[in-house]
Amino acid sequence: MKFPLLVIGGGPSGIAAAIRAARFVPGVLLLEKHSRLGGLNSYFYRNKTLFETGLHAITNYAPPGAKAAPLNRLLRQLKLKRKDFSFCQQYRSEITFLNSESLFFSNDFNLLKTEIQEKFPHCIDPFQRLIDFLDTLNPFIPSPFRSAKKIVTEILGDKLLTEMLLCPLMYYGSSHENDMDLNQFAIMFQAIYEQGMFRPKTTIKDFLDHLIGHYKNFGGEIRKNSDVVKIIHKNSKIYGVELHSGEVIECDQILSTIGFDETRKLLSDEQVTVLPRLGFTETIYQVKADAHLMLPLDKTIVFFNNSEKFSYKRPDDFVDYSSGVICFPANFDGIEKKPCFEIRATHLANYSKWKAISADKNAYADLKVVSSHKTLRCLQNIVGNFSSNIVYENTFTPITVERYTAKIAGAIYGSPVKVKDGDIGFSNLFLAGTDQGFLGIIGSMLSGVSIINQHILPKL
Amino acid sequence: MTSEEIKNLILEIIEDIDDEADFESLNPDEPLRDQLDLDSMDFLDIVMELRKRHQLQIPEEDYPNLATLNSCAVYLEPLLRNA
Repeated sequence: MKFPLLVIGGGPSGIAAAIRAARFVPGVLLLEKHSRLGGLNSYFYRNKTLFETGLHAITNYAPPGAKAAPLNRLLRQLKLKRKDFSFCQQYRSEITFLNSESLFFSNDFNLLKTEIQEKFPHCIDPFQRLIDFLDTLNPFIPSPFRSAKKIVTEILGDKLLTEMLLCPLMYYGSSHENDMDLNQFAIMFQAIYEQGMFRPKTTIKDFLDHLIGHYKNFGGEIRKNSDVVKIIHKNSKIYGVELHSGEVIECDQILSTIGFDETRKLLSDEQVTVLPRLGFTETIYQVKADAHLMLPLDKTIVFFNNSEKFSYKRPDDFVDYSSGVICFPANFDGIEKKPCFEIRATHLANYSKWKAISADKNAYADLKVVSSHKTLRCLQNIVGNFSSNIVYENTFTPITVERYTAKIAGAIYGSPVKVKDGDIGFSNLFLAGTDQGFLGIIGSMLSGVSIINQHILPKL
Repeated sequence: MTSEEIKNLILEIIEDIDDEADFESLNPDEPLRDQLDLDSMDFLDIVMELRKRHQLQIPEEDYPNLATLNSCAVYLEPLLRNA
């Protein structure tokens, strides 16, 4: 049997692409390597609890009536009803830097403006100029790299404020070290500051299950545990894929959402050279609800930097504890109170170091314990001491991410090089997802949809 | 299909895309997109639904013919004569 379309990779972008195609065409097949869908935004069970793998918050919040907003456009494109989802908005989030007053922001953009007015009074007019400038950009037009750091510093005239504003945008979506492309900055500025953050009321599993059920209702097929080892092609035309099992699946078109270099590896037997990438560690602390007494109840996410100079790059050591992100998934408006809640903390990490030590299982396990402890120490100074309330903890490293998501070097934001139009030189194979340049759950899902619209539907 | 049936089909498709679409003050000679606040992605849905429901392949260069409700009827009438 020959499929009209194969979608490789069952993360949010692959699922969205598959739904979009299945809405109009019978016989779409979604292939996932892992035993579970969701990609970076999946879940696992430990200590009789469902833990989410990657989710801190979904960016691009929009109220139900805002038709043109990315979230609502996405739902329309997938023929999903907003009322079938229950979303909880963030309370407020904080950017805290050494030697500076914190900046708070929420889903009401005015809070950030007020904060800047109060704490950086000399920057309020320049900040308005920055907003006006970003409004004039069309960040979706492919263009050469422009340094957001340089341009924003020039407009704001304040290095510290620039770094503080860049910090959340980098942590939530930059595959570049110490800078961002201006277009990417504009997209993320809108997604995080102007629109804001939210999460599903229950779990990412319910969100995924709803999408998967919807896809199946359109007649879409899914095969899990299906590791594609080769894309069969001649010149610039593809004919199908070969799975790890040796099975060959023929198709007319392929959409790959697994990453640019990851896709190139399936096309060639030759070694693919890969640019250095950014890795992260994350520790999840499950704590008894009593701990809420000593922790902030009104903060959803805290972005922090404790060093003189904010550094967003691959650390020389295993982990760079000097900056990071702390997320309280229970601190979204409308989340039900439970006996235990979670605190998640992320830092930049060095993949090569973790890779080298992972060869020795015990040393790797020991280092994860040490890393979790160091993270905890760092968190105590920022949000409070909850160590006596911890009932369970789990640390992932870039190695864990690599193992479960097959992303090269466990780099969650993928390659520093993005292929904006999804065209990688084939007539019937296109790229969507993280390496197409849209980030976050809504961004990557829209990426899947837009590449299907642009390249696949016209040919099906 | 008659011209009137075609217009109803288009409205039905739009309603399916956006269940809050307001047809109350729709001018059949004005662009649908502006009046109903549809973007290019929504517009593609109209084309795709016509294909799914009536096996119509509308080439991209003909999309401007679907701009208004009346132009849809004029353009689609010969194509849907036997539908």
